[in-house]
Amino acid sequence: MAYAYLFKYIIIGDTGVGKSCLLLQFTDKRFQPVHDLTIGVEFGARMITIDGKQIKLQIWDTAGQEAFRSITRSYYRGAAGALLVYDITRRDTFNHLTTWLEDARQHSNSNMVIMLIADAFSYHDLIFVSYKLRPPKTKPKICMQRNFSGIDMDSLIKDAREIDWSEVYKAVSVDEKVHANGIKIGPQHSTGGGAGGAGGAGAGGAAAGGCC
Amino acid sequence: MPSSDSEDFESADEGHTVEKKERKKRSSSSNYSDNALENDPGFKEATSSSSANKPAEISKETDGWDDWDIDDNETLNPEIVLRTSLPKPTETSGPLKKEEDKKDTDWDDFDAWGQEIEHPNAQPSKADPQIKEVTNKMAATSTGGWGWGWSVDSILSTATAGISTITSQVSQGISTVLETGIGAPDPEELARKTSKDIESRKPLSDDSDNVEKKEKLTTQDNDHGGSTSDGAFPFGSLLSGVTKFVETTGTKVIAGGLDTLETIGKKTMEVLQDGDPGLAKKRAMLGLDPGDKPVLSQVLREAKAKAEEEDRVREEKREAKEVHYENLFDDFEGLVHLEALEMLSRQVSMRIEERMRGLEPDKRQDLKETLQQVAELCEMPEEEDDAEETPDGMSKADALHEKLQIATQDLGLKLQFQPIVKQYTEILNWLSTEDPTRTDKGVYKRGVSALAQATSLCVEIYHKAGEMLLVKARRSTADEADSMTQMTVVLTKHISELATLFTEKLNTVASENMNQVNNYITNIFLEAGNSSTYIQNAFQLTLPILQIGAV
Repeated sequence: MAYAYLFKYIIIGDTGVGKSCLLLQFTDKRFQPVHDLTIGVEFGARMITIDGKQIKLQIWDTAGQEAFRSITRSYYRGAAGALLVYDITRRDTFNHLTTWLEDARQHSNSNMVIMLIADAFSYHDLIFVSYKLRPPKTKPKICMQRNFSGIDMDSLIKDAREIDWSEVYKAVSVDEKVHANGIKIGPQHSTGGGAGGAGGAGAGGAAAGGCC
Repeated sequence: MPSSDSEDFESADEGHTVEKKERKKRSSSSNYSDNALENDPGFKEATSSSSANKPAEISKETDGWDDWDIDDNETLNPEIVLRTSLPKPTETSGPLKKEEDKKDTDWDDFDAWGQEIEHPNAQPSKADPQIKEVTNKMAATSTGGWGWGWSVDSILSTATAGISTITSQVSQGISTVLETGIGAPDPEELARKTSKDIESRKPLSDDSDNVEKKEKLTTQDNDHGGSTSDGAFPFGSLLSGVTKFVETTGTKVIAGGLDTLETIGKKTMEVLQDGDPGLAKKRAMLGLDPGDKPVLSQVLREAKAKAEEEDRVREEKREAKEVHYENLFDDFEGLVHLEALEMLSRQVSMRIEERMRGLEPDKRQDLKETLQQVAELCEMPEEEDDAEETPDGMSKADALHEKLQIATQDLGLKLQFQPIVKQYTEILNWLSTEDPTRTDKGVYKRGVSALAQATSLCVEIYHKAGEMLLVKARRSTADEADSMTQMTVVLTKHISELATLFTEKLNTVASENMNQVNNYITNIFLEAGNSSTYIQNAFQLTLPILQIGAV
């Protein structure tokens, strides 16, 4: 299929937080609770249209296992955005966010937008909450959430099937890149990630694990 | 347009020059005195011998008019006084000097002056600008000195003659003004009228005789031959100058405008004809030639044909894209796998380089040898066409699976071959299904697509193998290299098998256009070669990953 632009997104986060589920939801609009362990990286793609322009969003769903960490690091290059996922029901996945962020910042373009996705995949199968973690020129900050007690879980729970994930990806400043930078990307090259600046999270309500 | 400007300017300039010339002419004509002086000398020279005072006068005549006036009065009168020793000349000189002031006065004085003509004493003073002239003429007409009587008579006659000259000259001046300005009747006619008036007036004014009349006539003739008098000069030249100026300005503006228009026209024509002599092309373009006028139906037919052609081209492009190998390869994720593999390979290569830099020179040499050995292991074996038969009771797809399993059994990885086996099964099913509606084009499209997909799956296998090798706990580089090489052999054979299957199918499909079918077959083999290249590339990209296991 012909397209004017290609944007590469990389999904990172601890193993078992629901990265592959997120990819499948995005590409096939399908929810599948059980996934094989991802080896290295899997790909998904979807065409979206912005301003009459065909844009191919290419998602690199990386393996969360520690063993593949070095491999994952080599895949950041050329990514326009990163979706950093953690499971709100698993504290350790939240604690590891800092190391993931370090990795992302170290191996990616400084313009790469990072979106934090708070997921409750392993708990309810359902919750996706996203935050934009790194708008350009803004230092990412992670606010530690001590406990989940004060959170109204019901309001957070949403059927994953109802979330339009293209909105989430768009929120990772696709428009900005198309309009501001006008990067022409051929099939062979992934985007060099221009400055993004789209507003806040595209989907979801208030978050549990939040950040600022 | 600078050129037109300059031309315009030129034309304006020309107007000026014309005007200047005319002005010169006019000024010369109005400067009657000059002409009179020029004309007179000959006249005087002829008579100079008769009177003693002439040479001196002649010498002074070359001076300016005003000077001459004074000189004349000064010189003439004393002479008269000397000669006649009469008080009269001195008397006349008195009024003469008085009237000298009046002489400079303007036109309004003329009427009063005309009245003054009644008094003989005043006459000479009025005539003073002409006195010399008149006396000259007098000298010419009157032969020899007449002594006492002559001088008195001469003075009187001189005065009358002077007056008549002035009147005629003034009328001349008016006529000149009229002539140049308003286009009044013939100046000569006018002059004649005025002279008649003067003649009719003369008997009253003085006791003029025939000689005087004759003189007057001569002066008039002279006036006609020459031009207006000095008395008329300021008015004539001024009025005519003004009218002339207006006229010339008007002419200049009109002429300038016309010149500009002409210049613009010329320039436009030049531009139009530039590189198009005779304006043939422009005429054709504008459809000015009646023969070239297009017929509406013709235009419509052409437009329709053009639209159809465009549709056809667009359809072709779309179809070309549909069967475009690279696009299909991208759609089947072959490209992104290759890209990811390349990224891995590059990173591993950097790691190897880094490790090599940190080694002692002799150890570095060992490392290089090891790397070389691994590379040699990965060299593709010579094509041995052992025409292996598919074991009985086994499908081609299963046979492929088995071969891949055998090839990679020493790799120590659990590679997923199901996708490529599944795809092969589908292709075989599709090819074995008889479908009468199937066209050569359909087979070709399916063939290219199958090749692109199979290649993508192959690249994915290399990519996965690479990733798994990198996370593998215990490496056995030699086995891995051997397995990967064998796998590559199987995969490339698989690709050629696919190509052969599709070309065979193409040959069985009935088609009217065998040329087209041959083209398709050629393309299938071409893309199969392309696929093999991708697979070889993927294999080469895996080499550093194999090598790093050995160091």
